[in-house]
Amino acid sequence: MKITRPTPRRHPETIIALIDVVFFLLVFFMLIGRMDATAPFEVSPPTALTGADMPAGGVTLSVAADGTMALDGEAIEPDQIEPRIQALLTTQPDVLIRINAHRDAALRAILPRIAQFEAMGARDVVLVVTPPGPVR
Amino acid sequence: MDSDLSLNRRKPTGPLISLVPMIDVMLILLVFFMVTSTYLNLDMIPALAQSDRPAQASSGQAGSETFLVRIGGDGAPYHRGQAMALDALADEMTARLTANPALQVIILPTGGAKLQALVSVMDTVTGAGAVNMRVVRLEARP
Repeated sequence: MKITRPTPRRHPETIIALIDVVFFLLVFFMLIGRMDATAPFEVSPPTALTGADMPAGGVTLSVAADGTMALDGEAIEPDQIEPRIQALLTTQPDVLIRINAHRDAALRAILPRIAQFEAMGARDVVLVVTPPGPVR
Repeated sequence: MDSDLSLNRRKPTGPLISLVPMIDVMLILLVFFMVTSTYLNLDMIPALAQSDRPAQASSGQAGSETFLVRIGGDGAPYHRGQAMALDALADEMTARLTANPALQVIILPTGGAKLQALVSVMDTVTGAGAVNMRVVRLEARP
């Protein structure tokens, strides 16, 4: 007579827990990640201790270290900036203009641009900075 | 003899929906967001405020004490012709602001200076407690 030990019945591993975890991770990255248009060149903003929270929305003018510019992630010639911003200010007078310039960019490429925006009637122009922290 | 015979139609079983494709899609989305997300902590400094309007700036500011800081091409701040370290500038600013909290600080950067130099000086001035700060620039005469 042969007595065989019954094979232990495996509990079906529930896959619901895995789906939950993956779903939470997905939602986390969707909420935390920034989907802003990035510049087609490297921009390392200057560091500042007294920066305020960045408001949402608006248009972003990126300035590279060599003065190359991009508007909302799209490379743009300097002489094309004024008509683009002017058209934007016509439809949205209170639009926020963010200047995301590289920390090594020369001020001669930035300050005249701010004065130009002011002359065009812009009311909200901010410089993008980043708090000092560990080297990224 | 009664026989209780009932014929029940068998419930049709619904189509079995596999969870595997959904998990695949979620994992692909998860990897996408993990790769494309950036985590730069960005702040802002106002570069233009309503009080910067010339009509408002010229009224009520006459007679107020000013503190001029020039930023050289090397990025160093100069006050009264003397180059100053940022710490020394902060100390000087604190002393002047203690005597006159309404001190107006004017920053005159050289066009060749880097943005970080201007932001550092603005940071130092703001950190010292100045509330009236303006950045001015020289324009070439046409």
